[in-house]
Amino acid sequence: MNFCITGVNHRTAPVEVRERLAFDAGAIGPALTELKRRPGVLEGMILSTCNRVEIALATDDGTEPAGCAEEFLAETRQAPREWVQPYLYRFADRDAIHHLFRVASSLDSMVVGEPQILGQLKAAWALAREQGAISGFMDTLLTRAFSVAKRVRTETDIGSSAVSVSFAAVELAREIFGNLRGTSVMVVGAGKMAEAAARHLRRCGASNILVTNRTRERAVEMARQFDGEVVEYDRFTAALPNVDIVITSSGATHYILNREQVKKALDARKNRPVFLIDIAVPRNIDPQVNDLENAFVYDIDDLQRTVDANVENRQKIADEAELIIQEEVERMVARLKAREVAPTIVSLQEQLESLRAAEVARMKGRFGQLSPQQEEALEALTRGLINKIAHGPISELRRHASEPDGPQLLAAIRRVFRLGA
Amino acid sequence: MHETGILWLRVAVVLYSLGLAHAILVISSRRTSLFPAALFAFYTGAVLQVVSVVEVSLALGHVPVNNFFQTISLCALIIAAAFLVVYQQYHFASLSVFIFPVVFLMTLIGSMETPVASWPNTRLRDAWLFLHVVLILLGYAGLLLTAMGSIFYLIQERQLKRKRRSALFDRLPPLATLDSMVTHSMTFGFIFITLGVIAATTWAFIETGSRWIAYPRIGLALLTWLVYLLMVFLRATAGWRGRKAAVMAIAVVCCSAFTWAAHVGLRSLLERR
Repeated sequence: MNFCITGVNHRTAPVEVRERLAFDAGAIGPALTELKRRPGVLEGMILSTCNRVEIALATDDGTEPAGCAEEFLAETRQAPREWVQPYLYRFADRDAIHHLFRVASSLDSMVVGEPQILGQLKAAWALAREQGAISGFMDTLLTRAFSVAKRVRTETDIGSSAVSVSFAAVELAREIFGNLRGTSVMVVGAGKMAEAAARHLRRCGASNILVTNRTRERAVEMARQFDGEVVEYDRFTAALPNVDIVITSSGATHYILNREQVKKALDARKNRPVFLIDIAVPRNIDPQVNDLENAFVYDIDDLQRTVDANVENRQKIADEAELIIQEEVERMVARLKAREVAPTIVSLQEQLESLRAAEVARMKGRFGQLSPQQEEALEALTRGLINKIAHGPISELRRHASEPDGPQLLAAIRRVFRLGA
Repeated sequence: MHETGILWLRVAVVLYSLGLAHAILVISSRRTSLFPAALFAFYTGAVLQVVSVVEVSLALGHVPVNNFFQTISLCALIIAAAFLVVYQQYHFASLSVFIFPVVFLMTLIGSMETPVASWPNTRLRDAWLFLHVVLILLGYAGLLLTAMGSIFYLIQERQLKRKRRSALFDRLPPLATLDSMVTHSMTFGFIFITLGVIAATTWAFIETGSRWIAYPRIGLALLTWLVYLLMVFLRATAGWRGRKAAVMAIAVVCCSAFTWAAHVGLRSLLERR
């Protein structure tokens, strides 16, 4: 079996590429079905967030998974393969496991240590399971990834300083408004990250939170969380003049705020600055809005650059976390290899047991009925014998499974004991 | 007849000064509570000014445009009337922040045609002049802070816009803090410069009678004050920030520097008598 992870993230691809490759929530289900249908594909999962689009793929031995994932991505996102290729990273087997653990532990995140990615990964896993795209191998792997993430979080300080895109947004808001007490915030679209940003702002003193969303129920629910007000989605621009901070994370495929609308709002608010945070991919706010005086637009990539400075500090903690990841990868690979040798061990035991049973039957045939004591002694003797014989090869197999000479040892033992193909 | 005309004009000046107070209140704290009273005083002042113009016209036999004082007073009256008409039509109240101080100062100058008194002693004369200098210097301090704050605002704004920070200005205060610092120093500077200008005008009036108005440095000083007023007005009503505000503040600083240079000869005045 082959395993690989192929995709793009904020480091390998600019937002223009990521927004083109991103799957919206509804598209992942059908895409998984289509992925599963491809020849050679055993298991698959799609992770699509603002910062990464990744395909994890397990294929049979005859299929090259990276190429398969690449082809799938290009076809489903209707992008020429040659155009996508330069932005892609490809990790195979051990490296893929390493990458997965790093992603889950938020070491590969834009803001290292931000907690959202784990939730997003869990959601991707749940969806893939629901679609029947994941079974034994990847299920084990992901479950392990989640506990590795938990271990990293509890054993290092990585999560303690709550750095995330949303927190970076709050820091920037402070650079503009100073004290956030009394500021008014509007959340357009009810994405998880927007919700987190709104929560941070609320905690920092934002007094008034307006929520608008295409589906009103979700807006109502979110407004309740923040003691906020719901604004009708088709009229939200009318409320702009009274809003200091706008967070957009709607799934709209076009710009929902353009230069004229913001200009009008700025005029109405006598040019008091407005901070527009666009964490949606595809972007919700026309980048030209940033050309207006007193309007500050930050998209997801800008936030990335802004937090880069802090990341350096966090990097030290991340190094510590990398050690944990390394250890966990070793352990996982060993476990997977052990799983690979398990059938051999079982067949070795079966082989010896059948030899023993045959010999015991032959013995009985020669000496006739044995007394219970004699029978018991014979059983014990033969069993003890095969166990002792099996002990050496089995422990050697287990010990060497994850080492480079593992496959040779496996082949040798199968040949010596005539364990078949 | 002529004298009562001047008297009405001086009462009008006092009434107009309420408008100045209103303007300062709006600039410093965006409070408009004084506006109704100031508007009423402005109406009354304008009516008194009309009375004054009519009286002087009757005495002269024609419209009073004989000299600069009469002309500037008439001009102030026309601006006041224009404002009242505009206000009636469009309720453009924020314009008062600009118009009230301008009309006040023009009328003040217009009312200084005939000397009321001469210096009772040189001490008062010199003290008055010192007071003027101190007021103006305080005003300059406020103005300089305004300009510096505006420049820092501009730098911080550019940094936030470009989404990159330079090593040199890594830790600037938030925009809002700089903005409020600029507002406060600008108001402080404006109050003192206005008081300084009033002190200077009255001093020159008593000192030289009606000759002072012909000095170019007076014109320059009044122009500087007018530019300052314009900046204050644009900031309070149109919310000028960033580049425009910085350019404006620098322009006012330049004007002030010229005015200062023009007044370097003041010391000799102290020794003259």
